[in-house]
Amino acid sequence: MIRQRPQILLFKLTLISALLSAVSLPDIVQSAAPFWILIFFTYWLIYAETKAVYTFALLLGLLLDLLHGNVFGQNALALIASTVFILNVKKSFYVSNLSTQQVYVFVASLIYLLITICVHWITQGFDFSYLIFLAPLTGAILWPIVHFLLAKLKR
Amino acid sequence: MRLLKPLLPALISIILIVLDARFSTLDNLKRNSTTLLSPIYFVVDLPGQMMNWVSDKGSDTEQLISENEQLTNELFELKAKLQIYNNLALENQKISRLIDASYTLPANAVKLARIKSIAQSRLKRQMVINKGSNDNILASQIVLGANGVVGQIIQSTPFYATVQLTTDPTQHIPVKNVRNGARGITKGLAANKSGMKVEFMPSDADVKLGDIFVTSGIGQSYPAGYPVGEVVEVSTPHDAAFLLIRLQPLEDMNELEFVLVVSEPL
Repeated sequence: MIRQRPQILLFKLTLISALLSAVSLPDIVQSAAPFWILIFFTYWLIYAETKAVYTFALLLGLLLDLLHGNVFGQNALALIASTVFILNVKKSFYVSNLSTQQVYVFVASLIYLLITICVHWITQGFDFSYLIFLAPLTGAILWPIVHFLLAKLKR
Repeated sequence: MRLLKPLLPALISIILIVLDARFSTLDNLKRNSTTLLSPIYFVVDLPGQMMNWVSDKGSDTEQLISENEQLTNELFELKAKLQIYNNLALENQKISRLIDASYTLPANAVKLARIKSIAQSRLKRQMVINKGSNDNILASQIVLGANGVVGQIIQSTPFYATVQLTTDPTQHIPVKNVRNGARGITKGLAANKSGMKVEFMPSDADVKLGDIFVTSGIGQSYPAGYPVGEVVEVSTPHDAAFLLIRLQPLEDMNELEFVLVVSEPL
């Protein structure tokens, strides 16, 4: 479990993920990049004992919507839905090996992606770069590295 | 009980989505909140700013840098103005007077802005520039590059503004074919990188590969005469009333460093 206060760690993770997701990358890389905020939030959910996780998910999602100029609430809804899944598998996630964790991260990212695309489809039409479908995969692939780095950060 | 907990935040999200997408009631709240997030933009853009700073310091004298900047700005503005004059020359070459076109060539004040290396939503085609409401950059103003239209300002905070590119699927620009004045409306194609299509052009319209489309000025959302794109594909789907036309933007959005914001009429 986390030794420092969960809220402080969440603040650090939010800051890092906000910065990471705002870094400009080439179009292809950007479309296929992981959902950083989801991955960092997943780590926090698994290793921190705290209440009001859905409120935090809502606030983080809204923050991301503002930063990226999305429809207000789009990322928030996606993050809340993914949080429901992560909390349901939390115990298993905590004791699983990295490969199983990668599968969980992939599914959480997929839920996040589907909700995001649904909202986009309803509000703006079904027109976007299909490279975004790679995002859950890259998220799962990068999970061990993120896990390793965040384990250093939480100490 | 476990599933009830996320219900309220999810409901709040859905209400916010509806309010934002359908009624635009959250615009002020979003603008003010985004202003508070400006430091994050600043930090993200810091490496780029450092690179520019180091590059500037590498020159021989301050005067040289200053002159260079001034000349670059002037050249950029002249190129943008040249777009109008080129279009005027083309217009004169053909017998366009017969066409009932409310063609105007407004003289506009422009402001030079630098593209910031700040990522935006991967589902949209947007970019951030380093000028905002402090420089009188306001929503709905037009953004030009050296070769053509880049997009439109959709949000302005004191230090930054967000530009929605012409290739965004929600951007619609009234355009006309420079060669014959045939009119249509462009729509961005996000699934196809940097592309646009022209809608509502009848299947018997005269459109050829290589034709240039410019803003028509209809609707007054965009001033007339600015190049938008070149035709790279024309086809007539079976039994369709309209042509399928694909445009390649004249401005390469990935190589942009500076843009001009058409701020106000002189």
